[in-house]
Amino acid sequence: MIKKVAIPSLFLLFAYFIISNANAKVIVAGIAIFLIGMHFMENGFKLFSGGALEKILEKFTSTIPRSIVTGFLSTAIVQSSSLTSIIVISFLSAGLLGLTEAIGVVFGSNLGTTSTAWIVAYFGFKVKISVYAMPMLIFGVVLRFSNEVKYKGIGDILLGLGFIFLGISYMKEGFETLKSSIDLASYAVEGYPGILIYILIGAIATVVIQSSSATMAIIITALAGGQILYISAIALAIGANIGTTVTAIMGAMTSNENGKRLAVAHFIFNVITALTTLIFIYQLSDFVDYLSTFVGIENDNFILKLALFHTVFNLMGILLVSPFIGVMVLYLKKLFIPKMKKSSKPKFLNDAVIQVPETAIYALRNEVINLHDKSLKAIIHAMNLHREDIFSNKELKDIVYSSNVKLNTNIDDIYKETLKSLYSEIVRYASLSQEHMNNEERVLVGSMKTASRKIVKSVKEIKELQKNMNHFILGKNLDIKDEYNLIREQIAYTLREIEILRKDDVNEIDRLTKMEAVKIKIENFEASTNEKIDDLIRTNKIDAHMATSLINDSSFASHICIRLIEIANIIWISDKETQEIGEDNEY
Amino acid sequence: MNIKKIVKKIDEFFNLSKKKQIKKNKKINTIREKLINKKYSIKKSLKKVKKSKEREKLVLELKAIKNLIKKATID
Repeated sequence: MIKKVAIPSLFLLFAYFIISNANAKVIVAGIAIFLIGMHFMENGFKLFSGGALEKILEKFTSTIPRSIVTGFLSTAIVQSSSLTSIIVISFLSAGLLGLTEAIGVVFGSNLGTTSTAWIVAYFGFKVKISVYAMPMLIFGVVLRFSNEVKYKGIGDILLGLGFIFLGISYMKEGFETLKSSIDLASYAVEGYPGILIYILIGAIATVVIQSSSATMAIIITALAGGQILYISAIALAIGANIGTTVTAIMGAMTSNENGKRLAVAHFIFNVITALTTLIFIYQLSDFVDYLSTFVGIENDNFILKLALFHTVFNLMGILLVSPFIGVMVLYLKKLFIPKMKKSSKPKFLNDAVIQVPETAIYALRNEVINLHDKSLKAIIHAMNLHREDIFSNKELKDIVYSSNVKLNTNIDDIYKETLKSLYSEIVRYASLSQEHMNNEERVLVGSMKTASRKIVKSVKEIKELQKNMNHFILGKNLDIKDEYNLIREQIAYTLREIEILRKDDVNEIDRLTKMEAVKIKIENFEASTNEKIDDLIRTNKIDAHMATSLINDSSFASHICIRLIEIANIIWISDKETQEIGEDNEY
Repeated sequence: MNIKKIVKKIDEFFNLSKKKQIKKNKKINTIREKLINKKYSIKKSLKKVKKSKEREKLVLELKAIKNLIKKATID
């Protein structure tokens, strides 16, 4: 009830405030335009980079210093620490990145966000940026009509830059006119109490706006408009850094344990940095003054000095906290222990990266492998066999003949409770992610859907086989029992070969050869079974009813095996041309 | 050339640019060369192997390689 009344009332109050106050209206509109600009920029880089950012984050994060530099550069280029964080969390979940390296990237990303302050401080006040905003917006809109994802991405980047420039220009204008009616700087509280108040304001503003870059833009424009003192601006910047971690922690509450670990690492980093800066704020300010003379910043250019201060205190934080990343990792791993996921829930599909093609494909592939492994378990148990036996070095014939205990595996239940929802999630995720992909990527995701369909079809077919298999293996007729054991052996052989070829040390040509060899063996097996059936009927060893069951079931078994090979071809052969050579598409 | 291969060729003709087709054919040729090299190494191993089980495995692989070389031949 309170929520129903309080939120609309707050909105009405806010609307009245901005309508009645002309200057506030311009400033708030500027912030809103700036934020929409940041959103377009982030989206544009997602589309334009076409997975380049993910590749960089995957390849250049082998050590902590490299991770920090990579985090810094990627965030400085894409102007979005949240995009970097999302990719880092998804990589962490997929096992592509260790927690140590991920924390390094997040620290570097923190430093990367300081580039926004430089852009606003340098371009926002040296040139009339609103002049550049209009053509950028026009070309941005034109490019957005393109069908090519890359051009759409460039269009979004231009729109983003245009809106950011326009937003800054509005904010500047608002603060400049505000100066004539009210001087906020005259209300500034001196000393440490004042600093603490401004830190709090900076943090709250960032939590409300959900963007430290936008807060920095407001701080810089307010400083340029003479509405706040330099020292207050510094305190606000520290507050913005704390505010951004609060936003990250709030976001991580619904995230998995990796997201939580990273958010807490980010929080620890920013709190330690803020506390140290707070203690040595005057010394650091003097140091920045001293440094400014070296980099050619004039003594009275407080805007650029603020940008320099922002960079210096984040850099100091990195130097201070980085040596303890190892200890932090140990603590965070103990703090957040992964929960066992329900087997029907997807393990890798993360909606946050559905718009990032490379990462979405990676997540999809892993989820298809997850579905494959779960289905394989069901197939093996349906044949009254065990995975550890099939994947051991034991003779398959011995395993099959010694496994005569009915396991009572209910394929229908397994399908309904686990596989169906996982399969549905894969199809949903694949279809949604294809929306943001180029043709080649769409084809790749299409093949993942095909692989999932084939996996599920194999499970359904083993159900058909299971009934007769159990009946004849536990029956008295030794001839038909032998034939059904041969069918089990054939499927087990296929599964064992697939398990061998999926190992990392096997090259793609060897994988291809192995698959083709299995196919030949299956074809030979089917042909010899058909010959044998004729012989068994002629010699009255099996009746016609048994024969038809055997004919159908050996055909089912061959289909399952060939399909398993087709699935392996899609999942474990990454080269498109090699995959095409291995394709048959008959089942 | 079987019907599937013909359909694939037509599909590529309409969907792949000349430049991309040349690039694709080059890649397929490289794979074919690798397969041929593997064929020779299997043939060499066959001469050395005496155990029937291993021999059977190599013969099967040789057959598979021959099939793959055929599939990787650009007509």
